[in-house]
Amino acid sequence: MTLSTETRIGRHYVEALRERFPSTVLEEEWQTDDQVTVTVKVNALPEVVEWLYYQQGGWLSVLFGNDERQLHGNYAVYYVLSMEETVKSWVVVRAQVDAGTLEFPSVTPRVPAAVWGEREIRDMYGLIPVGLPDERRLVLPDDWPDGLYPLRKDAMDYRERPAPTTAVETYPFVNDARGETRDVGLGPLHITSDEPGHFRLFVDGETIVDADYRLFYVHRGMEKLAETRMGYDEVTFLSDRVCGICGFTHSVAYTSSVENALGIKAPPRAQMIRSLFLEVERLHSHLLNIGLASHFVGFDTGFMQFFRVREKSMTLAELLTGARKTYGMNLIGGVRRDILKDQRIATLKVVRELRTEVAQLVEMLIETPNLAQRTQGIGILDRKVARDFSPVGPLIRGSGFKRDIRADHHYAGYAQLPFDVKVLDGGDVQSRVLVRVKEFFDSLDLIERALELMPEGPILLEGFDYTPHRFALGFAEAPRGEDIHWSMTGDNQKLFRWRCRAPTYANWPALRYMLRGNTVSDAPLIVASLDPCYSCTDRVTLVDVKKRKSSTIAYTEFERYGRERKHSPLK
Amino acid sequence: MNGIDRGSFLPAGGAPTPISESEQTRQLKSTLLKDIQRSAYVYRVDCGGCNGCEIEIFAAITPIFDAERFGIKVVASPRHADILLFTGAVTRAMLTPAQRAYEAAPNPKICIAYGACGCGGGIFHDLYCVWGGTDKVVPVDVYIPGCPPTPAATLYGFAVALGLLDQKLKAGHHRQGDAERALVAHPGLPLDLCVRIEREARRMVGYRDGRRIADDFLEILAAPANQPLADRVHRYLQTEDDPRLAEVIARLVDVSARPAGQEAP
Amino acid sequence: MFKLLKTVIKTGEATVRYPFAPLPVSPGFRGKPEYDPTQCIACGACTIACPANALSMATDVEQGTRTWELFLGRCIFCARCEEVCPTRAIALSPEFELAVGNKADLYQRATFTLTACRSCQRPFAPSKEIDYAMALLVHSGLEADAVAEQRAHFETCPECKRHQSIPDSDKLTLGQTTTKGGAL
Repeated sequence: MTLSTETRIGRHYVEALRERFPSTVLEEEWQTDDQVTVTVKVNALPEVVEWLYYQQGGWLSVLFGNDERQLHGNYAVYYVLSMEETVKSWVVVRAQVDAGTLEFPSVTPRVPAAVWGEREIRDMYGLIPVGLPDERRLVLPDDWPDGLYPLRKDAMDYRERPAPTTAVETYPFVNDARGETRDVGLGPLHITSDEPGHFRLFVDGETIVDADYRLFYVHRGMEKLAETRMGYDEVTFLSDRVCGICGFTHSVAYTSSVENALGIKAPPRAQMIRSLFLEVERLHSHLLNIGLASHFVGFDTGFMQFFRVREKSMTLAELLTGARKTYGMNLIGGVRRDILKDQRIATLKVVRELRTEVAQLVEMLIETPNLAQRTQGIGILDRKVARDFSPVGPLIRGSGFKRDIRADHHYAGYAQLPFDVKVLDGGDVQSRVLVRVKEFFDSLDLIERALELMPEGPILLEGFDYTPHRFALGFAEAPRGEDIHWSMTGDNQKLFRWRCRAPTYANWPALRYMLRGNTVSDAPLIVASLDPCYSCTDRVTLVDVKKRKSSTIAYTEFERYGRERKHSPLK
Repeated sequence: MNGIDRGSFLPAGGAPTPISESEQTRQLKSTLLKDIQRSAYVYRVDCGGCNGCEIEIFAAITPIFDAERFGIKVVASPRHADILLFTGAVTRAMLTPAQRAYEAAPNPKICIAYGACGCGGGIFHDLYCVWGGTDKVVPVDVYIPGCPPTPAATLYGFAVALGLLDQKLKAGHHRQGDAERALVAHPGLPLDLCVRIEREARRMVGYRDGRRIADDFLEILAAPANQPLADRVHRYLQTEDDPRLAEVIARLVDVSARPAGQEAP
Repeated sequence: MFKLLKTVIKTGEATVRYPFAPLPVSPGFRGKPEYDPTQCIACGACTIACPANALSMATDVEQGTRTWELFLGRCIFCARCEEVCPTRAIALSPEFELAVGNKADLYQRATFTLTACRSCQRPFAPSKEIDYAMALLVHSGLEADAVAEQRAHFETCPECKRHQSIPDSDKLTLGQTTTKGGAL
């Protein structure tokens, strides 16, 4: 793609970088007019990322490795920074990693937000981030053999299933508490919903001193699948299934990453329809989370009412896309369904109904004393922790940061749909619930405006060429934070590499700090307030080191205590 | 571990051995199902799904679909369960927890494979980190397809599992007949025109409505021409009264007027 | 509290009648793929497009047959098959009651006959695909009789066609010719 230098947004970041670190930048490549990839000397990586992050207003969106040995003999690591101070653009810092030593300096000691990404690079490529303080496995299961790195191009067939090495969990949980603590384990199976995860709370009496968690029980190997069995156009349907509730957001992020890489644009009408579907998805997702917040504070009638009303948004999704989940609506270069008169009228009707009914329910929820009692000052995400870990979505907007990809970077039809990003300063569970409430009503407005401004013309771009070895970012704001996808095209209509980062991946690392200092009964609420595709709690193992006693309680008992706060199971 | 030897779950030679059911258990189950006169409790085992299924199960137990009116209640522990609902393609990390949940539920129990991943591994069926569906690890009684199954499909599935409704689907195997031929659409109009019209309609409104609108338009074109095309199109648009449709049809009229090979801008 | 009670009373019965009454779905709902084997030409477009591999085709050279298979259990209801099918043999229907007790009932198959090449006798293409291609030629304006006369030509596999169409003198540049042919 040839871009004139004048239209490049964020070029001053690169200029400043060259000035601050002379002869460090080896290469500069622009993917779109606001996306640049700078290749730096590998030893300068931590300094460069730190400087862009803390001195230039960068946030670490995602980092990943890539096995580029067949392209230039080395591996590469990419650190994607979303620059959000004054000039908003993307700067991707890339460094090549020697295929012999496999070593590169860890960024984590300088920028904590890099911790999960670097652990994952260890798992998937066997690269060694030198100085990484946490070298435990992240993604691969405990029974995965050592030394087998799934994403190396020459490691294995995507279908290979090595025999398990162990039948027990071997993950070491970390506890930073100074004094003696009890050990509270939750999961991986649980009643409430969704993904399995294993939590370990370290408590002193009722107070959580520290917490750690083992996730990725659902690791399936999608990134490997995307470069092997599937053609690049099929990956759209795979990306839908990253997440069962914000799947459409993922496929928007994926398709736009490929569109950006190939230098093509979906027609304006398709872009606007994408925005509209995205907001429909936000409707049902936020209603789900607000409903669950009601449940966790013990307001179960409210929970049922929110779920009753939520069905209207599901019906709307079915009407617009043919399925209650907005799955399977994107193609590279456009969308698969248009909005004709019937859908338009029905959509406006549902939007009006939802506005009235949800307003009533929200009023009730806020008047319920439980909500304030149980959520104010609970699970505080400290501003400093937030700055260090780059969390996303209502989580960070509830802590006073105005970060929303819809407003920060342009994609889909949002350039035509300006709105105020909703921010609250409390940093607690309540702020996050209220941010979601406000965003829900914004979404209703955005849907109406999208219908009003719907451009004419086609919904699909045809007749573009698929060029190998081009890459770019794609992104979209899911209900729980931004989805970031990075795609590199390859030969034979397949991807060379697909990296997908879901919002919860960015939010988990901060959770540990949000749990500290709260009571055990608040843990389910705090976890749910991340909207982590839903909270993960089941069986609770309590270990009190002070009393030298270990006991296991059923999740229901734990959840009951969370709601009623009477008869502590810890006593 | 409650007397369960976890070592016995270790997959041999790379693939897990599904737990099998004894003849006695099977008989017990059919006796129970013949005369079930009580509630059935459900425990959900997420074996690595995308959450789509989990949320639809949620929708099935909340007011609009209200599975609880049939006594179907989601419970917190497999020890209370009559029905185990498995979602997900069974990831490596969830193999042991899934089999332990199965062992923990009292006999007789009904196992349901839920959703595309549960029934057959779904889009993930052959990946390195999954085992490819519920029946690879536990015996399955009922399969509920869907990606995800809708709450109504879930209710139907429960009814089939409890023997209250009969399954509708039957396996089918068609063998090509002697003079079997596939028919060509719109044989009365030039092929090239049909192709260009349908292609433009799909570009404008997608595969589904595009085909329908193209068919409507081609029918108008093919109708005996006792009226000018413009009038016939006008009448069609009047009955539909949709500005977007008018825009699309105007494009199709334009395409039909152009010679082949000359595409619309 | 009062408001809550009011809402509850005002809402009344929210639950749908299903399964005691049919549940209407939206027009355009993506339910069970409805397959019409008489309209299928076994071209395989759907099996290539299917992201989940719910659709597959297997060729039995011995028997001279090709069997198309839908495993509904794996279907993700994306409707790519409907989108790519050239003969409208498959389309998603409003049917959602798909649960079965017997896994075998989730499979649907159709077996088609392959035509053997007139020259080398090896089966190479479904007979219905050849018939359909010929019907399209008629549809595109060629005389039906003229197309029918060419049947022997259509029932010859691409490999044999290439051999037949190359005059002896051109065989020297065979490499070039096959490369070009392969790209077509």
